[in-house]
Amino acid sequence: MNYRDVYIIGVGMTKIYKKAPVTADELGRQAIHTAVKDAGISPKEIQSIFIGEMGGLSGSVCFGQRVCGTLGLGGVPMANVESACSSGAIAVHLAYKDVATGKSDVAMGIGVQHLSSSRAAGTGLAPDPRDPEGIQGATMAGIYAMRAQRYLHEFDATPTDLALVSVKNRRHAAMNPYSSYQQPITVEEVLSARTIADPLTMLMCCPNADGGAAVIVATKEKALQLGSKLVRIAASSLTSGIFRNDFRDMTEMEITIRCTKKAYDMAGVGPDDINMVECHDAFAIGEFLYYEAMGFCKHGEAGHFIRSGGPDYGGKVVFSPRGGLLSCGHPTGCTGAAQIVEATWQLRGDAGARQVPDCKAAITHVTGGGVYGLDNAACTMHILTR
Amino acid sequence: MEEQVIYHPDFFVIPEGGEKPYLIAFRCEECGKTWFPILPYCPNCWSEKFDKRELRKGKLYTYTIMYTPQKGIKPPLAFGYIDFPEEGVRVGAQIEVGADVEKIKEQIKIGMEMEVKAGVIREDASGKDVISYKFTPAV
Ligand SMILES: [Zn+2]
Repeated sequence: MNYRDVYIIGVGMTKIYKKAPVTADELGRQAIHTAVKDAGISPKEIQSIFIGEMGGLSGSVCFGQRVCGTLGLGGVPMANVESACSSGAIAVHLAYKDVATGKSDVAMGIGVQHLSSSRAAGTGLAPDPRDPEGIQGATMAGIYAMRAQRYLHEFDATPTDLALVSVKNRRHAAMNPYSSYQQPITVEEVLSARTIADPLTMLMCCPNADGGAAVIVATKEKALQLGSKLVRIAASSLTSGIFRNDFRDMTEMEITIRCTKKAYDMAGVGPDDINMVECHDAFAIGEFLYYEAMGFCKHGEAGHFIRSGGPDYGGKVVFSPRGGLLSCGHPTGCTGAAQIVEATWQLRGDAGARQVPDCKAAITHVTGGGVYGLDNAACTMHILTR
Repeated sequence: MEEQVIYHPDFFVIPEGGEKPYLIAFRCEECGKTWFPILPYCPNCWSEKFDKRELRKGKLYTYTIMYTPQKGIKPPLAFGYIDFPEEGVRVGAQIEVGADVEKIKEQIKIGMEMEVKAGVIREDASGKDVISYKFTPAV
């Protein structure tokens, strides 16, 4: 089958809030409103809509219809999608697919989450307590801590190196008015913060947050007609976790390695072509594992890579220019869409003080879901180019 | 005595007469892969025929100590993945290391040999103690 090229014509997002002053529905509407204005289209031109939100935490069924109804966006195919933290990115993936396959000429993917008002408020996220490991007390922080513990055991890296991820991302966030946290932090502060799950301290774990983000995609003809700066979705790659209970190497992110390969193949690019990455840095060890999974350094060399400034401005590739989940905060179902909004701004050259110089290609990456026996439940990656 | 519930009786055996507890893994008769805990079909080949295998001693692959565990569990909570090389199975569960929780970090090392024990793993939503398997350094 011949797929059509897909371009991003409009993006919008709310600030990522520690505690949003408006409801989940309103976060979604604000993001959509901004994206439609950014695209310069009439809202009625959107031919299909997908909305991602984690686990119905807004307390609503058919959340998308609730968000979109009073914006007059009804009457088109609309679907609510859920895969934990990947939900918003999957919504964009489905919008992409509609345009690529010719189902729609203009489609929209949205991610929204209001964690501060949900039953997850004030807690660390944990796998389902019916899972054999969930009932034993595993939390998401605990699982990533075990990855970190094993990584530090096998390779040349220390908790100080992990702290460098948090410090770097906070330094980036200081240039991002959309971030929840902007105050710079030091390695000492990161290491002396309260331990959540050894060796991860509180400042190595992303905070819960609220936010909404929307991405409107269209055909090349539509994008040219609108005269928008062309940002192409060169790859949109989605995969799911594989059940295993044998000896999985927890220092390798198998699902991300698979998803990366698909994305690079689809876009016809490799790590040397990429200028920036927004990855799923829910925990500091995540960035380490993703530097390696995406091929920016060899397995086991993440400690050296960050010590030498590899994933920073002036290095090989800028990881988390908006501050990542570690500083922006993690409105789970929103995050995947918010990363794509950031990458779009960067490729358009509209990212202000945090602009990645001459940004030509960007990766967004978000996994999702602690499900027993899986590396992660979902992994969604996009490669955007200009 | 407080009421107790067992999670999950077909995952492990506490023999009568003071013998050490063990886990029950299931080896697929068709493809030879071993699974823990029990599954209705082999995820690898969809066979429904399994041999039972006893898991008693394994090696610690990795661990953490959680200071903000889930509701119903008191911190600090040590949790680890234990590998059973012969059966090719890894099991994640709580680790218990004696009474001195302050020294918990010094008592756990990657690679150490661990054995199965039974004990209280948490309180359930109604406040009852939940009994299940755990691991403890092998003696
Ligand atoms: Zn089988």
